[in-house]
Amino acid sequence: MLKKPSRTIKSQPRDAGFLICFHAMASPCEVLIDTDDENHARTLGAIAAHEAWRIEDKFSRYLSHSVCGQLNANAGKRCAIDKETYLLLKFADDCYQMSAGLFDITSGILRKAWHFDGSDNIPSSAQISALLPLIGWQKTTLTETSFQMQQGMEIDLGGLGKEYAVDRSLQLINQQTDAPVLINFGGDLAANKARVIQHKAQPWQIGIDHPSFKKQQVVVSITTGAVATSGDANRFLLKNGKRYSHILNVKTGWPVDNPPSAITVAAPQCIQAGFLATLALLQGEHAESFLHAQGIKYWAIR
Amino acid sequence: MQLKQSTQLKSLLTTATCALLGSTTTQANELENWQFDTALMVYSEVDRVSAAEAIIAGERTYDNDQVLNLKLTLDALTGASANGAVAQPHVQTFTRPSGKGQYQADANTTPLDDTFKDTRVQLTGQWTQPLSDGYTWSVGGNFSKEFDYMSLSGNTNIAKDFNKKNTTVSAGIALAFDQIKPKGGIPDPLTPMIISDLISGYDDEGEDDDDGINPSSIASSDNKTTVDLLFGVTQVINRRMLVQMNYSFSQVDGYMTDPYKILSVLDINGISQEYRYEKRPDSRQKHAFYLQTKYHFEHSIIDASYRFMTDDWGINSHTVDLRYRIMLAGDHYIEPHLRFYKQAAADFYQPFLNQGTALPEFASADYRIGEMDTYTLGIKYGMPMKSGQKLAFRVEYYNQAPKNAGFTQPGVLAEQQIYESIDAIIAQVSYSF
Repeated sequence: MLKKPSRTIKSQPRDAGFLICFHAMASPCEVLIDTDDENHARTLGAIAAHEAWRIEDKFSRYLSHSVCGQLNANAGKRCAIDKETYLLLKFADDCYQMSAGLFDITSGILRKAWHFDGSDNIPSSAQISALLPLIGWQKTTLTETSFQMQQGMEIDLGGLGKEYAVDRSLQLINQQTDAPVLINFGGDLAANKARVIQHKAQPWQIGIDHPSFKKQQVVVSITTGAVATSGDANRFLLKNGKRYSHILNVKTGWPVDNPPSAITVAAPQCIQAGFLATLALLQGEHAESFLHAQGIKYWAIR
Repeated sequence: MQLKQSTQLKSLLTTATCALLGSTTTQANELENWQFDTALMVYSEVDRVSAAEAIIAGERTYDNDQVLNLKLTLDALTGASANGAVAQPHVQTFTRPSGKGQYQADANTTPLDDTFKDTRVQLTGQWTQPLSDGYTWSVGGNFSKEFDYMSLSGNTNIAKDFNKKNTTVSAGIALAFDQIKPKGGIPDPLTPMIISDLISGYDDEGEDDDDGINPSSIASSDNKTTVDLLFGVTQVINRRMLVQMNYSFSQVDGYMTDPYKILSVLDINGISQEYRYEKRPDSRQKHAFYLQTKYHFEHSIIDASYRFMTDDWGINSHTVDLRYRIMLAGDHYIEPHLRFYKQAAADFYQPFLNQGTALPEFASADYRIGEMDTYTLGIKYGMPMKSGQKLAFRVEYYNQAPKNAGFTQPGVLAEQQIYESIDAIIAQVSYSF
């Protein structure tokens, strides 16, 4: 097992304030705070870091002692859950309903058949068919105090956890400061208000790197609200000239056709942006027209 | 299976997120989303028109970078302005625009109509929003009203960014409808002003409260339409320098005569025999070319522009405008301003009519369409306030020097100053919050 990066928080001055850096949820994380007071900036940065680490520890499926790890280990049994877990699973349930079943946190099990390593190793229909019975949010039972799924099923909150951490951290920071703050956890970000540069309100300008895609960078500018990105990076398979993206249709178990390489979406909350970006990718070649029809601001890379 | 409809998806998602994150989701105070600019300005010509203007403008930026601009302007104008007649070695008497009452001009002075007293209210709104692929779209409207004038206009504009936003190309169109309802009605152009001694008394107060109909009136109101086309390119040269070029074309149709302006009709000795109402063409085409450059030095900014305007009335004009902002400590700045303007006279401009010669098709003695040079010399001082507000003061001196466009002044007129220059002071305080 890889050694986990140490949980340290670094602070450095930048143009109109301070940049706080740390590592969480397998991503570099940053908090930008426009203030002259470095101690205040460090305090706010620490709030974000501890919240990100708390959420990682609680919901990472890679940690056997996390809530997620425990629910997966006890699949088939009825498990007691706390309020926060209920709320997060309820949100996943809402996402499932809103997406008419396309967004499903039980679909991660398809990874057992699909190894998106750039090879031509396409699974057989039989392999996939064997997994399909283990997928389906509708087969789970959620109450305010308990959760139960069928034996062999797994849930993965990876598609929501980082965005949730961004929103939660900003909420906690807002209780402590009036300063303009931008939170950026590995490209999923949210800002509380416009910056004030030379007495003029200015949006935050953030470049979101997609190094694997022709060195393209999406530059987004936001005053308040959030931005999240979903993409298939270099996770795909190639066989007979056909590119198999890692965006899988949970109903068939096969990749959706021709999704954008990455999609960045703006929304009031980061978790909304993250859901919409993923939902858009699931529309395959119709990703852009889907977002356009919804009146949602987005940046797509194909 | 069908995906949820767009409005439904958004509201469902909002509800779901509220449940997850609580209703404490960051809702900025509505007022914090607005940026306001206010200004008070006083313009005062020596012995002539004085104007006071108050402006409040608000800008609201929405989360999707959409911008709403609203602006309210109030102007109050008092004083006297030249009526177009030339000075004479004797007292001259004129009929007020209402047709009731008279006013006089002393010997050897430029005749001024002291009727001017007006208030103008103007409302402007503009909505700008980014579209996909670097396009920005904007739409706006304007309404303004004076007691004798109403203007209504709408515009739309599309801009596209290229080269990582270093180049912006834009195109726009504006349509305007203006209606003038002058006091006393629209006078019959080029007919004599009727000076009747029967008209009750001299009114030296300078008021023209009577809503009477001028006997020369042929209509109570008239109007004009304007179509403007605008094309522009803005180019960022490097991180210090920006260049902007614009071309605009205007087509105006309708009533463009000034119903309050007259011309003196002189005999060969230069003595005024009568006054006739002016007349201008009912169509005008303008072309304007504009070039602006801004250069950021380490601690100062130079902003220089040149504008050339030409129209089928024969008015060509050149404007050079220079501003140099010097940054001082603590974000204070001082900004000297210099502006030169040079204008050729309209083809139908003439300072007076000659008795015994055929009336021209069009004629106006309005100094504003005659040959002239003007310059403005000003200085602005700006400073930030404690919580981000900005305060600025501006003082400017303006000089307008009408020129003789090649007309000889017969007889007694040779002794008269008929191209009188105007000096004005402009003072402004502006506050942004």
